[in-house]
Amino acid sequence: MNRLARVALVLAVVAASAAATWHFVSFPSASTWNEEELRLIASLSLDALPDLLPDPSNAKGDDPAAAQLGHSLYFDTRLSANGAVACATCHRPELMFTDGLTLAIGAGVGNRHTPSLVGLSHSPWFYWDGRKDSQWAQALAPLEAKHEHAITRSDLARLISSDADYRSAYIDTFGPLPTFDIPAAASPTGDAAERARWSALTAQQRSDIDTLFSNLGKALAAYQRKLMPGAARFDNYAAALAASGSAERDQGDALSAEERRGLQLFIDKGMCVTCHNGPLFTNHEFHNTGVLANPGELPPMARYDGVRSAREDPFNCLGEFSDADPDQCIELRFARDTNDLVGAHKTPTLRNVALTAPYMHGGQISDLAAVMRHYNEAPTSMLSHNEAKPLNLRPPELRALEAFMHTLTAPLATDPRWLRSPE
Amino acid sequence: MNQPISSHFNPFRVLLAYACCIAFSLVASAQAAEADLSGSARGLTLDVYSRLSPLEINRIHSWEVVVSDAEGPVTDAEIIITGGMPEHNHGMPTQPQITAELAPGRYLLEGVRFHMPGLWRMEARITRDGRPITLTIDFEL
Repeated sequence: MNRLARVALVLAVVAASAAATWHFVSFPSASTWNEEELRLIASLSLDALPDLLPDPSNAKGDDPAAAQLGHSLYFDTRLSANGAVACATCHRPELMFTDGLTLAIGAGVGNRHTPSLVGLSHSPWFYWDGRKDSQWAQALAPLEAKHEHAITRSDLARLISSDADYRSAYIDTFGPLPTFDIPAAASPTGDAAERARWSALTAQQRSDIDTLFSNLGKALAAYQRKLMPGAARFDNYAAALAASGSAERDQGDALSAEERRGLQLFIDKGMCVTCHNGPLFTNHEFHNTGVLANPGELPPMARYDGVRSAREDPFNCLGEFSDADPDQCIELRFARDTNDLVGAHKTPTLRNVALTAPYMHGGQISDLAAVMRHYNEAPTSMLSHNEAKPLNLRPPELRALEAFMHTLTAPLATDPRWLRSPE
Repeated sequence: MNQPISSHFNPFRVLLAYACCIAFSLVASAQAAEADLSGSARGLTLDVYSRLSPLEINRIHSWEVVVSDAEGPVTDAEIIITGGMPEHNHGMPTQPQITAELAPGRYLLEGVRFHMPGLWRMEARITRDGRPITLTIDFEL
């Protein structure tokens, strides 16, 4: 072998070693957490989750009878035009109240990915674009949406009035039912015929149906307020760390070295904790992170339009069907509506994230590894600007972050009877 | 001839000095502990008394803000308070507003919420006699 060939061989070996190190070798991290890291870890633990505050717009939010009625409604496919779609059709308990699909499929194919309902009662805003300001107001919209339940509020009123069990549960919880002959298929949001039948009703009749309709939402919200995450391996680690009184990263079997490196990246260089913060790993806020629109869809205005829709919603906190005093509608009254909300979607919880693929508002990203690559690259947003910046993490760091995501999986802290149909 | 030190030692005077020190530090610490945040500029002072204390992320709440100058409370002030994270170049998730003057110079700011840990910067723009004065308060969450 001549000298030139030898030099070339050595250079090739060095280059290959460097590439292998870059792709596969994890650099050792410190053996202890610093004070700020300990504070952040404690802030993410379920132990730091405050008690669920009452929803002032829903006087029955914590009423056991309302939750029971909501439980029945949640699993009942009669709450749909074709008799085949219930809330549980898309928000499936066995998938952490998601459906595993890219886009939701009810009576038709939707245009958004089904988000989890677990812990959602802690959020002040609902839908990916925050166009609803309470869980009960949110629950109303899918019932009438043509690609979801596709039923009308008058048909719902007829069902509650005619079914003996619903009738008595409703009266016990909310009071009298409408006393007039309720027409079939009437709604202000339906097709032309449905709107015409709605317009033919008196103002009092419309208000009576809307009161019943909003009460169904309040019962569904009372049920959903039961759906809370359980302590996962990460929480056990945070608890062990707190109990030990030390800052030692190694707390036995609670988290592996790779998972701990993932946690370090999550709260530090990865900057994930900027938005995925608090015990539910979400700030319940809206951010543009440069996710491409679904094929065939224009980039959505998202929260910019959502906050405006919430203000105009007749079922919002300030509306006539809300139980709140206007003073209590603080989120709605002081909501931000500025241009930087263009293209901003809601930060989802990361609790049980490993069980809720695919990801993003349109289910655009199929698995966690691809999510990590997306945030590592922080591509330019199609509309407005991507708030995230490229992270330039190495492959082993991305794998560590992904490994950390798996430490957030745990059975719900909810009585199992709520997780199946009451039948 | 040197006097013995003990002849200068007056236990009552020492006790009095000690009591004064304690009283002073108590008053000082009470004043410091009262306002959660403070800022001042061009003779104006703004003290923040949060109704959520200690401050934390992801909880909407109200502040009482007290505006004063050398002569005392500043009443009927026009105040606009905005906030953001200078390191992230974005604002607050809400648009807080002054909704009442609770007492002379003491204003109610509703709709305060922070959604990220880190350095926050609040700016109060106070207009007096047609002249705007901007006060800045930085704090970590």
